[in-house]
Amino acid sequence: MKRRHFVAGGVALGTALVVPAVRAQSKAAVLPQLAPNPAEFKKAMADFVGRAKPLETGLKLEVPVLADNPSAVPVHVSVTLPLSDQLYCKEIIVLAEQNPSPLACRFQFTPFTGSAEAAARLRLSQTQAVHALARMSDGRVLVARQNVTVAASGCGM
Amino acid sequence: MSVKPPRVWVSNARPARGEIVRVRAQIEHIMESGLRVDGEGKPRPRNIVRRFEARLGANLVFVWEPGISIAQNPYIEFTFAARESGELLMQWVDEKEVTLEARKTLTLA
Repeated sequence: MKRRHFVAGGVALGTALVVPAVRAQSKAAVLPQLAPNPAEFKKAMADFVGRAKPLETGLKLEVPVLADNPSAVPVHVSVTLPLSDQLYCKEIIVLAEQNPSPLACRFQFTPFTGSAEAAARLRLSQTQAVHALARMSDGRVLVARQNVTVAASGCGM
Repeated sequence: MSVKPPRVWVSNARPARGEIVRVRAQIEHIMESGLRVDGEGKPRPRNIVRRFEARLGANLVFVWEPGISIAQNPYIEFTFAARESGELLMQWVDEKEVTLEARKTLTLA
């Protein structure tokens, strides 16, 4: 019983110490150079989609729901449509909606590739949505999105 | 760029014809975003890996164009269908035009 009381007290004390620290951190304003860039995000989206009507099927985006290390968040994209020499994926882009530079990267494929799958690691400035867009050889544009919570430890940029 | 050679893993160096081969590759690179400042408050000049290419023989297989939101020591994973034997050549180029190369030989089983 004594030990249990001691442990419970320790937890309470720990919480009391940690909570103000977390508050202080989230209060520290985002550095100006790390502010989101919604205009660039919209432009990157619009440039990629063009006149196509984005479809929410056929593209799989895998990102952890909780990113414990925001300076290296694994992101994995793959086209799940059956591919052939006639139908292949030309390009996939990954966008981090609230990052200062939203267009994280481009993956480009050729008819020779024979698959459409790639993975990389992002750094995320804050909790946000990650988007993936794929352009198929027949002009279809596929989209997928996933929200990522960035641990309070800070910013990956 | 880094002096250490790229680290590359290939799922199968002797694939059957048409088999999907998976490649994982990583290099050491600071991926300086241009957003960070040094001790005196001056911005550190941007230098990121701007392009990664993979070719099998003469055929382009995969291209990656990272932006500044890609993590340090960039890791890339991709797949392709093994259509022919040949050398898989991977090249990284950063914004100072420093290049890094890695090669893996693929032989159809």
